[in-house]
Amino acid sequence: MNWIRQPGVVAALPAAIFLFVGFAGPLLMVFGYSFMPEKTFTLKQLPTVENYVSVVTDSYYISFTWSVFLAALTVLLLFPICYPIAYGMAKLFGKWAKLVTALIAIPLLISENIRLFGWVLILLKNGIFDGTMQSLFDVSVSGLLYTVPAIVLGLVYVYLPFMLFPLVIGISMIPDVVKEAAADLGANRWQVFREVELPLAMPGIMIGCILSFILVLGSLAESKILGGQAIVMIADDIESAFTFAQNWPKGSVLSVLLIALSGFIVFTLFRRIDLDQVIGRR
Amino acid sequence: MFDSRISRRNFLQQTGIWAAAAAAGTFPSFARAAREKELNIYCWEGYNSDDVLDPFRREFAATVRAEGLTSDPDAVNRLRAGETKVWDLINVNNPWAREMMYPEGLIKPISRERFEPYFAKMMPQFSPPYRWAMDKGGKDLLGMVQRFGPFSFVVNTDKISRATAEDQGFKLFLDPAMKGKYGILTYDNWNIYHMSVAADVHPFKKHTKEEIAKFGKTARQIFNGAKNLTDDLVQMNLALINGEIDAYFTGGTYTASPARLDGATKVRGITPKTGPMDGKGGIVWIELTSVVNNPDPSPLAEEFLAYVQRPDVSKKVAFAEGTYNPVTQMGNADVLNQFSAEELDAIQWDTLEEEMANSVDYDINPDYSEMYDLYSAAKREREG
Repeated sequence: MNWIRQPGVVAALPAAIFLFVGFAGPLLMVFGYSFMPEKTFTLKQLPTVENYVSVVTDSYYISFTWSVFLAALTVLLLFPICYPIAYGMAKLFGKWAKLVTALIAIPLLISENIRLFGWVLILLKNGIFDGTMQSLFDVSVSGLLYTVPAIVLGLVYVYLPFMLFPLVIGISMIPDVVKEAAADLGANRWQVFREVELPLAMPGIMIGCILSFILVLGSLAESKILGGQAIVMIADDIESAFTFAQNWPKGSVLSVLLIALSGFIVFTLFRRIDLDQVIGRR
Repeated sequence: MFDSRISRRNFLQQTGIWAAAAAAGTFPSFARAAREKELNIYCWEGYNSDDVLDPFRREFAATVRAEGLTSDPDAVNRLRAGETKVWDLINVNNPWAREMMYPEGLIKPISRERFEPYFAKMMPQFSPPYRWAMDKGGKDLLGMVQRFGPFSFVVNTDKISRATAEDQGFKLFLDPAMKGKYGILTYDNWNIYHMSVAADVHPFKKHTKEEIAKFGKTARQIFNGAKNLTDDLVQMNLALINGEIDAYFTGGTYTASPARLDGATKVRGITPKTGPMDGKGGIVWIELTSVVNNPDPSPLAEEFLAYVQRPDVSKKVAFAEGTYNPVTQMGNADVLNQFSAEELDAIQWDTLEEEMANSVDYDINPDYSEMYDLYSAAKREREG
């Protein structure tokens, strides 16, 4: 029992208790509720798997598919948008990098919903964009709002910092001498990028991709506000199950499945990254 | 002997002992004193506005905390999850108190002797004993009514006249010509009731399999014809004013009034003239404010219920921030005289009586869960 007296264990105890009560506890409750009969509000009933059966046989796969598709699409769009900016911030901008960081970080201080409503005013029929196009070019571009592309725009806009900042860390980990050495040995620009830069920045890239993917997977506001619920994302189904449907067990099943999906993706990808390397502890 | 010298060590010991004793509740009088001047209200927006709360805070020297709720079921969930310890008053729509919260022990009755006389001064529809304020046995008074309003759908009267909308009722949304010209305000529970009405099915009665199937078919048709869905009434009004849509499914005075007070009087809540609910086609909601069954209750809860009955406060409640609504106290001339012509027009006072006569009260749908599954599937599988 000597390990209990170790200073490390003692020091970690408050955080461990806090994590268990505040993080693991609620997750276990959700897991427990997922096995309760429909429409019950206690954990004292006999467990059943009927909710899992009904979720699998119902059309919830549509919401899961939309969420996964939009998460993947957002990541695919964010990477090429963020990589050049991150490269500039890490290697080129010098003292201006701080300004760029501030410009990108400041909107994070404003509620996501308010920023999305800003986009509603821009995309609305007779809104800022449509009105400008009408007055300048006599062309009407209404019908942008309440569409899947509007949702994608919102997702890319909201989750950009979550891809960008890990990329900056990843790229700043590439020693310039290594690139110079590669060039000296006859590699062209593309080869330097593909065979030197990308592999060395990979931990940052992976974290950026995972972070934005998981956040989009659980997102709700973009499809509601910009998409006019043109599609239903899984987080929307979960919210409805807990509220309007008054069916906590079904909401719990959907949550458990979403957590399992996110967990599977994170663990599969994290096995490929050395976190110690990212935080500089080699 | 008591050692009066305070060293750092015994200071900490003493503090610890006092803190532990207080936490263990050995000073109940302290705890009670703390709650005598404290009131926590969980309510639809309006009751939480400073216009309503500040005079109460001053008069009773009270600390009042109020949080706005965004859906009835969500609010009731929070009480079920143990927040009866937090709140003193809860304000939700009419059926929840008598059908769910009271039987589940989440709220407690208020004094009939003290509060029934207030009902006598309200509009005649609310005279005592008022059904929704009483428990199922008709014995206990479960809360006070104030805001209410007809709730069916909303049109832009420049595009669809009031008369046409009232005559067609919810069938308007089944007309192929309306495809892509209306939105759905996703207040899911209301949508289910209104889609039932559109399917010629009474939403508040036990249903046959055929009726439920008919509901499911109608729900799909309405979802597939909708241009947009949102749970935000401001966004829906904006879409209506900008011409993105001509009407929205699920709405009424509550949702149309903010746009109307801003001058967009073409935004109008419509109550269908006829329908499948004993000949009626509209539904009306009535808010009920009840005292939460808090184990450590605040004596200010009942005081607040009496306070909001005052004519000036009733007016403030009707026109607090967010949405504007008629109040039952408008049956009293002292209250009614406080409203300007624009304000009365915003809440469609001119047609209120007629709309109420064409509506039934919001109630519990015995087949809600079965219909909800069909509804949510129709929403997910929407072809747009």
